[in-house]
Amino acid sequence: MRAVFRLALLQERRDGGILAAWILGIAGLGYAAGTAVTTQFGQDNERAALISVAAASPAFLFLRGLPDGISSGAVTFFQSYSFTAVLAGLMSAFLVVRHTRADEDQGRFELVGSTQVTRVTSLYATLLFGICANVALAVAVAAGFIGAGLPVPGSFLAGTAVGAVGLFFMAAAALVAQVMPSARSANGAAAALVGGAYLVRGAGDAVGTADLALLHVTAAWPSLFSPIGWGQRIRPFTEADTLPLLVITAGAVVLAGVAVALRNGRDLGASYIAADDSGAERAGAGLASMLGLAWRLQRGSLAGWCFTAAALGAVAGGLGPVVRDALEGNPSVAELMSRIVPGDAGLVDLFITAMLGIAGILAAAAGIEAVLRLRAEEAEGRAELLLSVPASRFRWLGSTLAVAAITATAVAVAAGASAAVVLALGQEGGSSPGTVFAAALAHIPAALVFPALTVLVFARAPRWSSPVGWSALAAALALGQFGELLGLPTWLQDLSPFRHSSAMPVEAFNPGGTLLMATIAISAAAAASRLIRERDVTV
Amino acid sequence: MDIDSTPVIHTTQLVKNFGRTSALTGLDLSVLPGEVHGFLGPNGAGKSTTLRILLGLIRPTSGTARVFGIDPWAEPVRAHRDVAYVPGDVTLWPNLSGGEVIDLLAGLRGGVNENLRGELIEEFDFDPRKKARTYSKGNRQKAALIAAFSRPARLYLLDEPSSGLDPVMDAVFRRHVRRVTSDGATVLLSSHILTEVEQLCNRVTIIRSGVAVESGTLAELRHLTRTRFRVTSAATPEVLATWRGIHDLRIDGTTIEFDADAADLGSVLDALATAGITGITASPPSLEELFMRHYGLQATGQNIGQASHTGQAL
Repeated sequence: MRAVFRLALLQERRDGGILAAWILGIAGLGYAAGTAVTTQFGQDNERAALISVAAASPAFLFLRGLPDGISSGAVTFFQSYSFTAVLAGLMSAFLVVRHTRADEDQGRFELVGSTQVTRVTSLYATLLFGICANVALAVAVAAGFIGAGLPVPGSFLAGTAVGAVGLFFMAAAALVAQVMPSARSANGAAAALVGGAYLVRGAGDAVGTADLALLHVTAAWPSLFSPIGWGQRIRPFTEADTLPLLVITAGAVVLAGVAVALRNGRDLGASYIAADDSGAERAGAGLASMLGLAWRLQRGSLAGWCFTAAALGAVAGGLGPVVRDALEGNPSVAELMSRIVPGDAGLVDLFITAMLGIAGILAAAAGIEAVLRLRAEEAEGRAELLLSVPASRFRWLGSTLAVAAITATAVAVAAGASAAVVLALGQEGGSSPGTVFAAALAHIPAALVFPALTVLVFARAPRWSSPVGWSALAAALALGQFGELLGLPTWLQDLSPFRHSSAMPVEAFNPGGTLLMATIAISAAAAASRLIRERDVTV
Repeated sequence: MDIDSTPVIHTTQLVKNFGRTSALTGLDLSVLPGEVHGFLGPNGAGKSTTLRILLGLIRPTSGTARVFGIDPWAEPVRAHRDVAYVPGDVTLWPNLSGGEVIDLLAGLRGGVNENLRGELIEEFDFDPRKKARTYSKGNRQKAALIAAFSRPARLYLLDEPSSGLDPVMDAVFRRHVRRVTSDGATVLLSSHILTEVEQLCNRVTIIRSGVAVESGTLAELRHLTRTRFRVTSAATPEVLATWRGIHDLRIDGTTIEFDADAADLGSVLDALATAGITGITASPPSLEELFMRHYGLQATGQNIGQASHTGQAL
């Protein structure tokens, strides 16, 4: 038992500031949402107006969750819960993989395993560390809500809901780490589980049933298959219910138990999904250049991103008509919507526009992930070998950048094509499939700004490329989702590249913004290509 | 001026600082065409830093580095045209097979020589069909060596290339170093393994704390050092004490061991002749002894820690 504590402490020390940044970031998001609600929507009627519009908008329901009354706490929970829960899930998943499969990949486990510990001691330590992290997160989120002036008991319960979701994905990631053959694939699979839980909850919430006053929405059955959906059922600021908390915790315990059993039953470095260890004896014609190598390294990830994007697109194209039908049965919604969005296609278009906005963010994330390969290549020493051949650094950087641009574009294309096809098959009205496809493509220039910015930082200060790249995306996401709610000044909101892309089909195509974003992306990439020659290759 | 004696590698007063630590403090290194040049020094002496400067991967803080007369920082692509490099710590792409890595690296240098590739894979007993993530350190090193040797280059930069190889593979490695030099190539071989350098190198540069402390042919360096004698003799310690120029005397029964300065060899041999010996071996100083002289006996106060570390590594 002492070994577990000592290893947990070691893991905590190794993590250093990463975890603190996650916790403070998530709690900060909750605090910002709470402050926005209590200051910008101080009156009951203001909050009622906000909630009723949200309850009538499937896009809102999909992205945020279920409106649950008009108290400041309930409105804040509605605005912030889904995002904080997703972040808590990602935080916990990455934490676990970092200290399990990643350590095994890097051979650090072998050293620890040679001391007087059992095969599972280190996993217990990681779980203990993860539990502590999520308790800290729950307290921090609660403190954020209390700081924003929300009721204390509800705040604690809301924080607990977020922490419980984190706990669930901690256990899920511990299981995934036993099954997947590498840290990279384990991180991908665990993140996909979090994303999937969010999407399933989104689908269930979007087709939920609103009451006649449009102040409460009850989720449809799919939300029961998502731990994030269960967390939402705690309803901390209205009719608090702790049963969902038990369900989530029980799920976490079962998953963790299975993870421990699986770890006990396998060799060091082995995995239940075996990686194929045999490869080609000769390199194909494609692997004869820097570009060929960049493509080869990215193609697996690209397929994963495109699959996710296509799934999102299918939800966008397929769910739109369904939610319209569901809502049109509600006379209050029909009345409200006819005032807000004139015309028949309004609801479907609103929903598709919001979904394709997410596809744009996905494209940016895929682009960032792709260019960060440069950082991994350099930090892990492969760049040194690669740059000893007669090929310039420009070609090295440019090849990866080109593949990143292809990745981001492919994600948008996959989302748009899948949405258009599903929409065409349904023949449910709304904008034409062609317009929907174009709407997905309209996000590409803004999405490309992120990999370009990331590569620019990489060219100058490689250590900062990953934190700056991902933080920029998180900031843009926060500005997009909460900027108007927080009443932030326009210039600040305009910092987000996505503000300059066209939110088609609801808005018209915006050539100026598109051109501006394309120019910024190209300029940043060009500057990076120059700067990369100026610095030492780090080893 | 004879064109053949123009150094392939030439650095003058090379300095490299990383923040506040100095990796190189004024390194002069000259490698002539066709030679196997040993670049000897303990860990942290600045060997890898020098090789990285020669590849144009990092920029010297001051001083100049030239490879084939080209500044590798300003014109890396031109400088790399005829260079093959094997880093000290080889990391490969985990999802590429060994065969793919070899083809990729040799291909980026202009294309693999099929005969050499097949020969090297067989001699190194290397399985090119496995993904690189499954390779041990030695196998990763083999992949990098095969990639380097499977296309002729004019200069081979090898950073502790055989540290992960077993003795049999080490012999294969040495054979290929001799092969490329007999074809006229130049090799810079960094190492802290003395036997490797002794067996392969014509000339040696010894580096300590970022500066070359000795450079020359093995014969020139040996000239500076003592010869080790092991004789069987009935000579008594009292007699031995009268001999000039001997050091580190050890007597075990009739077996006597001592070192003799090069300058006093004549008088020592005279004394031995009169002492009535029944057996004698005299061995030239090993590089190990040269090495210890630079990192052990002559270690200044600040280098004592490093010296003892090197002693263990040897």
